[in-house]
Amino acid sequence: MDTIIQQLFNAAQLGAVYALIALGYSMVYGIIRLINFAHGDIFMLGGFIGLLLTTRLGWLPFWVLMPLAMLLTALVGVAVERVAYRRLRNAQRMSVVITTLGVGIFLENLVRLTVGPETRQIPARLPSGPVVWLQQHLGAFVTWDKLWIILISLALMAVLWLVVNRTLIGTAMRAVADNKDAVPLMGVNLNLVIAVTFAIGSALAAAGGIFYGQAYSIDPYMGIDLGWKAFIAAVIGGIGSIEGAVLGSFLLAGVEVVTVAYLSSNLKNGIAFGLLILLLLVWPWGIMGRPTLKKV
Amino acid sequence: MSTAPRPDPAQPLPDTRPSRVRFWMVCAGVLALAVPLQLLVDAGLFSDVLNPYYLHVLTIIGMNIILVASLNLLNGYLGEFALGHAGFMAVGAYTAALLATRALPPASALPPVLGTVGILLVTLAGAMAAAALVGYLIGLLTFKTVGDYLAIITLGFNMIIVNAIQNIDFVGGPRGFTGIAKNTNFVAVAVCLVLTIGVLRNLVQSTFGRVWVSIRENAIAAELMGVAVARAKNRAFTIAAAFAGLAGGLWAQNQQFITPRSFDYMKTTEILVMLYLGGMASLSGSILGVVAYTLLMEVLRNLLSAFAPQLAEWRMLISPLILIVIMLTRQTGLLGNREWRWLRPRQGA
Amino acid sequence: MALRIASLTKSFGGLTAVSGFNLELGDRDLQGIIGPNGAGKTTVFNLITGVYAPDSGTVRLGDREVTRLSSDALARAGIARTFQNIRLFAQMTVLDNITMALHAQAGYGLWDATFRTATFRREEARLLAESREHLARFGLLERQREQAGSLPYGEQRRLEIARALATGPKVLLLDEPAAGMNPREVEELIRLIQQVHRDFPLAILLIEHQLPVVMELCREVQVLDFGQTIASGAPREVVRNPLVIEAYLGEEEAPA
Repeated sequence: MDTIIQQLFNAAQLGAVYALIALGYSMVYGIIRLINFAHGDIFMLGGFIGLLLTTRLGWLPFWVLMPLAMLLTALVGVAVERVAYRRLRNAQRMSVVITTLGVGIFLENLVRLTVGPETRQIPARLPSGPVVWLQQHLGAFVTWDKLWIILISLALMAVLWLVVNRTLIGTAMRAVADNKDAVPLMGVNLNLVIAVTFAIGSALAAAGGIFYGQAYSIDPYMGIDLGWKAFIAAVIGGIGSIEGAVLGSFLLAGVEVVTVAYLSSNLKNGIAFGLLILLLLVWPWGIMGRPTLKKV
Repeated sequence: MSTAPRPDPAQPLPDTRPSRVRFWMVCAGVLALAVPLQLLVDAGLFSDVLNPYYLHVLTIIGMNIILVASLNLLNGYLGEFALGHAGFMAVGAYTAALLATRALPPASALPPVLGTVGILLVTLAGAMAAAALVGYLIGLLTFKTVGDYLAIITLGFNMIIVNAIQNIDFVGGPRGFTGIAKNTNFVAVAVCLVLTIGVLRNLVQSTFGRVWVSIRENAIAAELMGVAVARAKNRAFTIAAAFAGLAGGLWAQNQQFITPRSFDYMKTTEILVMLYLGGMASLSGSILGVVAYTLLMEVLRNLLSAFAPQLAEWRMLISPLILIVIMLTRQTGLLGNREWRWLRPRQGA
Repeated sequence: MALRIASLTKSFGGLTAVSGFNLELGDRDLQGIIGPNGAGKTTVFNLITGVYAPDSGTVRLGDREVTRLSSDALARAGIARTFQNIRLFAQMTVLDNITMALHAQAGYGLWDATFRTATFRREEARLLAESREHLARFGLLERQREQAGSLPYGEQRRLEIARALATGPKVLLLDEPAAGMNPREVEELIRLIQQVHRDFPLAILLIEHQLPVVMELCREVQVLDFGQTIASGAPREVVRNPLVIEAYLGEEEAPA
C-alpha cells in the first residue's frame, strides 16, 4: 500500500485532471447557464487527438504537441457550440440539455468507429524517473511525470485565473456571466465571448485528456466516467465558479483516493454519485455558490 | 400586453368532430392481428413473407412505445425534466429476470400456454412493483428539485442504478444476466402495449391528467388552486417508473440476456430521441416517434449492409444526429401535442 | 369575519418588506390595498397565500388560524388569488382551466380513472357540465375549446378570475387586476368585480394602482408605504390624506 505522501500525490494528480475538466463545465454554465453534457467527451476527444499527434508527429517535442492538441480540441469545442448550441441559446432548457447529450453520444460513437473501442495509452513523453528528493527524505516513491502533470495543471489554472481576472476578454466573460443580456448593449460581441469560453474550456479539458492518457489510459467511453466525476466536482464547488471547480475537484479526488485506499475501489463511483445526489438535494449551489430567491 | 406564454399560432385548433374509429376498436384490431401473426410465425408458415425477424422488430417497437409513452407522462404532460428512465427499466428487467430464473418454475414444468401466462403475470407484476418503488423513492427525494438540477439528479440515479447492478455479482455484475427464458412474445407485448396506452390515456384525460398539465403550465398557480404538487408529481413518477419497469420485464424475457450497460444513459438518450421525435404530451406522438425511429434505423441498417457493410455500425451516429437536428429545427416533434382522433377524449374538449 | 390579520411582519435579509400589517375583512366585504411600487402589497398577498411564511403575526380565516399553512392547504381552505402577471394554464383549453380548478370536487380516485368506471363517467360529466355553466356566467362559453393563452388580454383576466371563483372560495385576492388595461377594459373589469361581489358569497381584497378602480369598488382602503400602513379608511378620505399624497409624490399616478 502506498504511503500517505504517495496517496497525496495521487489525489493531487487526479484532482488536477478533474479540475481541468471541471473548469470547462463551470465556465460554460457560468456564462450561458448550460450544462454541457458533451464536455466529458471533449475531454476524451482531446486525449485521442493527443494520441494521434504523439504517434503521427512524434518527432515534435512535448511542449509543442500538447498545445497543438489543445488548440485542435478548442476548435472542435467552438465548432460544436456554433453548430449545435448557438441556435438554442434562448430555447427551452430541456432542448439544450438533450442536445448536449446527443452531441456527447455522437462524439463517442465517432471516435469508437474511427479509432476502435480498445483502451490505449499515450506514449510517455514526460520524464518518468522517481523524484529522488522525495524518496530520500520522505520515503515516498513518486515519479516525475506525476509531478509534472500536477505542476503544469496548476500553471494552466494560474493562466486561466490571469485571463479571467486581468484581461479584457476575461472581464467580458465575467460580465456575460453576470448579465448576459446587457453585455451586447455595451458593444461586446456576445458570440465571440461565448466562443472563447468554449475554446478555453475545451483546451483545458484536452490537457486533462492528454495527462490522463499518459498517467492511465484512454478509451472512447472514458468521457462518461470522468466527465461525470468532474461535473460532480464542479457542482460540489458551486457550478459557475472557477475557484469552486478547482476546490471541488481536489476535494472529490481526495475522497476518491481515500475510498479506494481504505474501503473498496468498487465504491468510489457510488460514493461520488451519492455525494452528488446529497448535494443537489440539500445544497445545490455548492461551496462557492450562492442560493437564489424566487420572485412570485 | 399579455404575459402568459402564447401557444404556437401555426397549430390549428383541434378538430373536434367525434372519431368514428374508437379507441377500443384500435386495441381490438391490434390484438386481432397479433395473435394470428404470432401463430403463423411460430409455425414457420409463409416464412419468406412473415420473417420472424420482422416480428422481432415489432416486438421491440412495442416495448419501446411503452417506455416512451411512460416517459411522456413525466416529461410531456407533467413537464418534468427526468432523464434517467432507463434506470427504471433496469430495475424491472433485473427483477423479472430474477423471478423468472430463481423464484419460479420453468415454463416446461407448467401447463403449456397458461404456465407462460402465469410466469409473465408474476414476473411483470414484480417488475412493475419494484420499478414503481424506486420511482416513488426518487420522486420523494426530488419533489423540490426543478429544471437542470432534476435532469442531473435523474441522470445521476440512472448511473447509480447501473453502477449498483454492476457491483452485484449475484445477478452477474458487469458480465450480465444470462439464461433468461423466452417468455415474452409479440402477443404478450401487444397486450401490454394496449393496456399501457389505455391506462395512460385514461389517466391523462381525467382530473389527474389535468392536474399534471396545470403543474407544467404554471406550478405556482396550480398550488394556489389547491393542488398538492408534490403528491401529484410523485404519483406521476411512480406510474411512469412502473410502466418502464413493465417494459424492462418484457425486455429481459425477450432478449434473454441483459447487462447493466444496456440500461445506461445511452438507452435513456435513445428513449429521449423517440420521445422528442414524436412529440411531447401526445400519446400518438409516442407511438409515431418509436415507429418512425425504429423503421429509420432498420432501413439504414439494411441499406448499409447491402451497399457498404463495413459502414454498418455507422448508423449509430445517425441516432444522436437525429436528436440534434430535431432540437435545432422542430422542437415540438412530428405531432407536437396533437392526438390522433381515436385517442382524443370523446366529449371533444 | 372572513379574514382577520394581525401584526403580520416579514423581512428579507436586512429589508423589512411588511411591518405590522392588520386587516379585518368581513364576510362579504370589499377592501383595497394601495401604495407606491415596492410598498409591500404583493408581499402581503404572498404572506396570506402561503408563498412566504411570516416572521410574526397571525392570519385567521373565519375562526381558523391559517398562518403557516402551505399554499395548497390555504387554497383548499377557501382562499383564492389572481396574479399581477396573469397565470393561466396557457396551453390548456379555456374549459380545462375551469375543469382543472374543480379537481378537489372530482369524486373519483385513481382506480376509477384508470378503468373508466361508471363513477368516473358520471363525475366527469358533472364536472364538465359545471365548468360549462361557470364559463357561461362569465360570458366565456363560446371560447371553451380555445387555448387559454390565445385569448385577448381582457378575457384572459376574466378567465383567471372565473377560474379562481370555481374553487368556491370564501376570500378572493385580486392582485392588480386592472394592470395593463385600457380605460374601456377597466370599466368592464369594475363591472365584473361588482357582479362577482353581488353573485358570489365571498369577501374580496384588492391590490390596485389605478385609483378609479379602488374608489368605485372598495368600502375601505389601506395605504402601504415601505411595508407600513400609513393610512386607512374610506377611499375618498384616504386619498386626501397628506401622508398618502406625499407617498405618491414622484409616482406617475398622483391621486386625482
